[in-house]
Amino acid sequence: MINNEKIKPFIPWIILIAVITVIPVMFTSPFVISIMVFIGFSAVLALGMGMLLGQAGLLSLTQPAWFGVGAYVTGILVVREILPPVLSIIVGAVIVALLSYIVGLPVLRLKGLYLACATFGILLIAQISFTQLRDLTGGHSGLFGIPPLSIGSFVFKTGTHYYFLIWAICILFLWFLLNLVNSRVGRAINATRDSEAASQTMGVNIAQYRLQAFVLVSSMAGLVGGIFAFYLRIVTPSSFGFSSLIELMFIVVVGGYANLWGVLLGSIVVMWLKEFISIYLLQIVPLANGAMAGALEDIFFGVLIILILIFVPSGLTGMMEKLVSLAKKFLFKGEKKYGPSR
Amino acid sequence: MNFLLEFIQYTVSGLTSGSIYAIVGVCWSIVFLVTGIANFSTGEFVMLGGMFVWFLVGLGIGLPLSAILAITLVVIIGIALQRIALQPVRKPSHSIYIVITIAAASIIKGIILLTLGSETRRLEPFINSGQINILGISIDPQAIIVIGTLVIIGVGLSLFFNYTLFGKALRATAINSNAARLVGLRVDRLRVFSFGLAGGLGAIAGIVTAPITFMGYGEGALTGMKGLVAAIVGSWSIPGSILAGLGLGVVEGLFAGFISSGWRDALAFFVMIVYLVARTISFSPRERKL
Repeated sequence: MINNEKIKPFIPWIILIAVITVIPVMFTSPFVISIMVFIGFSAVLALGMGMLLGQAGLLSLTQPAWFGVGAYVTGILVVREILPPVLSIIVGAVIVALLSYIVGLPVLRLKGLYLACATFGILLIAQISFTQLRDLTGGHSGLFGIPPLSIGSFVFKTGTHYYFLIWAICILFLWFLLNLVNSRVGRAINATRDSEAASQTMGVNIAQYRLQAFVLVSSMAGLVGGIFAFYLRIVTPSSFGFSSLIELMFIVVVGGYANLWGVLLGSIVVMWLKEFISIYLLQIVPLANGAMAGALEDIFFGVLIILILIFVPSGLTGMMEKLVSLAKKFLFKGEKKYGPSR
Repeated sequence: MNFLLEFIQYTVSGLTSGSIYAIVGVCWSIVFLVTGIANFSTGEFVMLGGMFVWFLVGLGIGLPLSAILAITLVVIIGIALQRIALQPVRKPSHSIYIVITIAAASIIKGIILLTLGSETRRLEPFINSGQINILGISIDPQAIIVIGTLVIIGVGLSLFFNYTLFGKALRATAINSNAARLVGLRVDRLRVFSFGLAGGLGAIAGIVTAPITFMGYGEGALTGMKGLVAAIVGSWSIPGSILAGLGLGVVEGLFAGFISSGWRDALAFFVMIVYLVARTISFSPRERKL
């Protein structure tokens, strides 16, 4: 351990990558893999939302809408055989980037409550468009006939393929966002959250940075939306609505949006919790159908969100930091007194 | 002539739904003015009112009594929401309130779905007289009741806020809650009261509209959001919300009638976004409002 300090920042990454590679080896059941794939998708969306809320102080509720636009554009391009799969995903992300730029330019002038209202409106408009543009999207019944994703001659057939693809994207995105947060741009974005006037007088172009962060996060949601279309091979409007927004909000709140690692942790905890609820709670409470099970999930999640926001507003990361600092205080009390002995 | 008749017909039906938006908009405004909270479960109050009355009438209790019971229940739920979920928040911010009230809305929705089922319920019209025809325009008598309810609520609220001490105290809290606390008003109680009032008004809106639009567990969200549009465009004032709600209803009715009914719901949100953005644009940089 000569260069302990040099290795230290890489430890969480090594653990993360190790866990991600070990999971498909340890759990071969397609159920676990499919949950982990869904976690990957939610994590990318939630990281974006957490980044906007925690770093820029913007509560933007459009993530599911961009996810949906990406999925639909990719799906339509592939089903009509206009473009090959990979290219259609990229075109989907580019279209989302353009749309989010056009929308963000006026809407990001708003802040706080009004930004949340306007972005919620955009989500609802997107939702209505998905069902109303029947010729393109197939309306309520959805868009089907999407072939599996293929790059050259390699075809993504099993869940494991998608698992590695989405988690590679997710880890790269997290790495990129964390680097961005610690860069000059990140510090500027941070400063705009804490004091707009102060950062503006220091010469930070607030509007530009906000817009860039918004477009980055949105186009990433569009990109994974394209992959989502290939994974499910059917795109329906219900995947991008209000319930997915609640899920994302829950992930961000549970994880604690102040820290992007927390958002990642939150997405894993929340999604597994959701699965356990729907498996175990349903055994205790016998219910008639799927809608009822969804209702039970909603109630459980709603109560948890409220409890967390009241009692631990900083989420899982805040809780862990508190525990660690308490443990340190308790364990290393003696050591501090007599100076470093080791 | 035909066009004119259609125009009037759509305007009348627009006024009916506009009355509901207006009442819901008033619910948003009262809570926002007094507490500074944007209560995203406002729409659920409307749904609760309708569903409770349907349930109570089904039990064999007469309409007037079940309406009173339903309103009381929703008032209690509104108060409970403020006391249990919102008051204990230690670091208040808009984002936290938005997330909590959206979570509360999904809890309410879930409980109603579990207990009263997922089917849309229909309440019998209050007056069984069929459609009324005036000069070739047919009007649902229930629509008259809805519009009448809005008028009564509007007049009642303006009397309450202008001529009673309690109403004036609420207005004082809305203008400056710190100063209101300094002169000895129990601001915490007024905050609770505003939630109860919003719950009661929302429930009334739900009850009068249930025979026209029918009620289901998911009915509240969209109505609530339209109310939010009315409140925002009416800049959170009570007469403003009423006017904006009626205007929104009429525009929506005409849009649905002449252009497209499928896109009708998107219109309100588009109007809201355009309004919000337009408010930030000003030609002299000092007067930026938001």
